[in-house]
Amino acid sequence: MQPTSSMKEEFLKKWQMGLQIYRPLIDNTSVSERRKAIKLSADVAMASLRKGTTCWSRALIQKTATEDNFLVRQMLSGIKAETLINKKLPKVMCHRKIVRRSKMILRRRQSRSAIEEVAAKARKLIKKKTQGLRNVVPGGEFMSNDVLLIQETLDYIVSLQTQVNVMRSIVDAAEAGSER
Amino acid sequence: MSNRRSRQSSSAPRISDDQIIDLVTKLRQILPEIGQRRRSDKVSASKVLQETCNYIRNLNREVDNLSERLAQLLESVDEDSPQAAVIRSLLM
Repeated sequence: MQPTSSMKEEFLKKWQMGLQIYRPLIDNTSVSERRKAIKLSADVAMASLRKGTTCWSRALIQKTATEDNFLVRQMLSGIKAETLINKKLPKVMCHRKIVRRSKMILRRRQSRSAIEEVAAKARKLIKKKTQGLRNVVPGGEFMSNDVLLIQETLDYIVSLQTQVNVMRSIVDAAEAGSER
Repeated sequence: MSNRRSRQSSSAPRISDDQIIDLVTKLRQILPEIGQRRRSDKVSASKVLQETCNYIRNLNREVDNLSERLAQLLESVDEDSPQAAVIRSLLM
């Protein structure tokens, strides 16, 4: 699973589109405003590659929309923008009461062997670390299903790699072009 | 290795051992520098998850960094210079 060249191409196109939208503003703003604009368009470009099919991309779009609603609407065409921005993030198995109850039942029923003890400890460790993941993956707080969380993480990482890859090439090329 | 028989199949979102192994393998493949240090999948699963968090944070930091560099570039470039044309053609 690597960033493919078609992913990179598509990201670049969308990012360029976002920057185009900012073009009239770019000349008249501060460096930090510009940086924000660049980053936001890069994020929307990255998220839109998934066309709303992943939790993290929807969460990222919603988050970006709170910072710059106009940009997001412009970058995603029309109707799609509306649904993506307003769509409630899926209550992916946030049925905490059910989870809690079944966990209690399981605990009562299981008589633990030594191996199961070890496995249980490992699970606790993993639970702690997955909490860390939830903090860095957009929308992670809505993913109480660990399998989903890790799948989303995988996809998010590949997308991030695409984003970094393309941005790095562009910035390096631009800086090289600017040296006398 | 299979604890599956002793476990109830419930609606609780627990990861099965095989799922863990599968996902951790995938994570290992896309993280740049995780050596094949340990055989024991449980322990290294935890390490992999930790490394994953760090990796994601680093990637985000790099994006911020790149955005900053680009913003600086656009700032310092003279509207009519050939450099501006280069940047414009790359980006816009």
